[in-house]
Amino acid sequence: MVGAMAISTQQHVENAYGFLTTVDSPSHGLFGGYLIVDLEGRPLEFHCTAPVRVSRAQQILYGATLHGHLHGRQIGGTLLAEGSVVPRLVLTDQEPLLQARSHTHLPLALVTASRDQEQAGPTAGAGFSLGGLTVVPHTTDRADETVLREHLEGLIQAVDLNEPFERIRAAIDEAQRH
Amino acid sequence: MQSWRAAEVVLPATAILAGIECRLPTPQALRLPIGVSRPAVTAVPLFVARPAVERFLFSGQAAAPPPSRPPVRPLTAAPSPAAEASPAAVGPAVRRRTRIAPPRDVVKRSERFFFLLQPDLETILETSRLEFPRQPFPFQFDGMAFLVPRHAAVLADEMGLGKSMQAISSLRLLIRSGEARRVLVVCPKGLVSNWARELADWAPELVVAVIEGDQRRRQWQWSLPDVPVKLANYEVVVRDRDLVAEMGLEFDLVVLDEAQRIKNRDSQTSQSVRALRRGRSWALTGTPVENSADDIVGLFEFVAPGHLNGRMSPRELGAAAADHVLRRTKDKVLKDMPPRLNRDERIELTAEQRETYRQAEEEGVLRLSGLGQQATIQHVFELVLRLKQICNFDTATGESAKLDRLEAELEEIHASGKKSLVFSQWVATLGRLRERLARFGAIEYHGGMSTVARDECLHRFKNDSRHGVLLLSYGAGAVGLNLQFSQYVFLFDRWWNPAVEDQAINRAHRIGAAGAVTVTRYLSVDTIEERIDEVLRSKRDLSDTILSQAEPPASGGLTAEEIFALFRLSPPRRAAA
Repeated sequence: MVGAMAISTQQHVENAYGFLTTVDSPSHGLFGGYLIVDLEGRPLEFHCTAPVRVSRAQQILYGATLHGHLHGRQIGGTLLAEGSVVPRLVLTDQEPLLQARSHTHLPLALVTASRDQEQAGPTAGAGFSLGGLTVVPHTTDRADETVLREHLEGLIQAVDLNEPFERIRAAIDEAQRH
Repeated sequence: MQSWRAAEVVLPATAILAGIECRLPTPQALRLPIGVSRPAVTAVPLFVARPAVERFLFSGQAAAPPPSRPPVRPLTAAPSPAAEASPAAVGPAVRRRTRIAPPRDVVKRSERFFFLLQPDLETILETSRLEFPRQPFPFQFDGMAFLVPRHAAVLADEMGLGKSMQAISSLRLLIRSGEARRVLVVCPKGLVSNWARELADWAPELVVAVIEGDQRRRQWQWSLPDVPVKLANYEVVVRDRDLVAEMGLEFDLVVLDEAQRIKNRDSQTSQSVRALRRGRSWALTGTPVENSADDIVGLFEFVAPGHLNGRMSPRELGAAAADHVLRRTKDKVLKDMPPRLNRDERIELTAEQRETYRQAEEEGVLRLSGLGQQATIQHVFELVLRLKQICNFDTATGESAKLDRLEAELEEIHASGKKSLVFSQWVATLGRLRERLARFGAIEYHGGMSTVARDECLHRFKNDSRHGVLLLSYGAGAVGLNLQFSQYVFLFDRWWNPAVEDQAINRAHRIGAAGAVTVTRYLSVDTIEERIDEVLRSKRDLSDTILSQAEPPASGGLTAEEIFALFRLSPPRRAAA
């Protein structure tokens, strides 16, 4: 119950939103980045991981489960536990990161371009449209879809939901260079 | 008993040995590291933003009349005509995002992240609910993104691209975010009312105090505690240098307009602005390099003291200054700008003018030759000015080939209802032009007029269709004025460097110009004016060289040799040194 442990040290900020993504660097490994913003898109917190590299043995032993394990538990779960500000929900632009939902109490949803969502996949056909994008809540959160949509309708007045991921990538790119 | 280690004994499993005790070692468990350890997490602390400043009150100033400002209106950005014309541009999918990038001198990682993780500038402006009277151009957003994170910056856009608007919008953002609470804008005296208007236009919510009047009044104005923007001219800053120091005033940001004023670091003006205690230093100038590379060194003594020095080559200067200087030219950023049509009109002097000119030049050159080693540049200047005056008007008869041509051209322009600007370096010339061009409603604008008279003159020229011609001196009229409703510019006589001429031309050819601007430069054939023109072309190359970080041509500014060479003379040895 990593999330529950973290709550006691976390602060509640009205209208905070989390953005979670990873960047795969061929030379360094897999970085994770987690940005929490306010209703105007201004940054409140940012966390990023050191790069994760897996060995050949690990690739073999984990097999097809490696991707989800890395993204979901190791990176996503770790990052979501680090935030001291509790967001209303967390958005990600990468489907494997949805597996982080098992390691946090925070609602988690995938943001995709509508045309991508039409393709086959676990999230195909699910979710709702918002600001020209499709938001697909994790199965755990689909019952709260209406509430999530209300939260996001306030955010999209100021923020393009894809845009904060660009900032995270820029910050991770900066971290690699320095 | 004999013992063997397992490695020494190979026993078939089925073999049974009697009488030999054999002990096989316990096989060790093979541990494969399959757990992927959790990565270390780096928490990046961000700055705690200051609260937004939305209103400024006078407090503790019983005698001070509260400045009247309109209440803050609900603020939304005005729609862009370009956006309306191309609907695809307004959709979020194609929306332009201007990022605020950390300057190179920001090295601390948390500070660099602070900039990288901000929303784009367009979002910041929208969420800050800052209103613009007109939608900024994309390059102006770039200019704001350049200025906002910088403590040391030179905005060197070509004249007419809206440097003041970019500076005002940027300081507005800093004030709104709490990063600046006390800003000082310093400008030439003739532009104070211009700046006050621009601040009211582009930052209507900001309270602005103009530092002017007698000393007592100025002292009170300097001391006003809750006025975020103070506006003063260079002369006031010089005059009140000690007063400001005694009061211990500090500014979060000082903005210098027409900053080429401080290029001479030994001047009182330069020393006085450098003495201002400040956090950020921004300089606005369309001519960071007017005459020589020393100009930009002098500028940087204010912007970033010690960052440049006179021993650097132009290439080194360019490289060192690169992250602090932003310069755009119209042809690069304003594809839709109405064109500027340049015409060099070569004018033959009248017979009388030619004779007067010939005599004056012969006598003058003879006199210079006679002076020998005693000849100075001042002597040469005097001769040059005398000859230029003859190119304008014959000193004996008053004839003027240039004025004849100008009058003929203005006939047609005035008939079409268009307005013209005419520049000269002499106020006396303006007076003579006004008499001859009275039927076009010509009015004068020069430094000898009071500020009130100049403002009145501009108002009449802009609003009264009877006044089709404005006669300006380069000194007063070339700087900062917005006259973009004029479509014709005449340079009756030329200035010493192209930068000032460009400033003059850009009074009309600037953002907001309704149509193409035609610039006519008069050159008297086979006179000193043609020779000066050649030198001016080479000086334009110098400015381009430094700002493009290329290698310079052999000669830089107007050297003593070049000045004497105007009359095919060699300079005296001491003048050449």
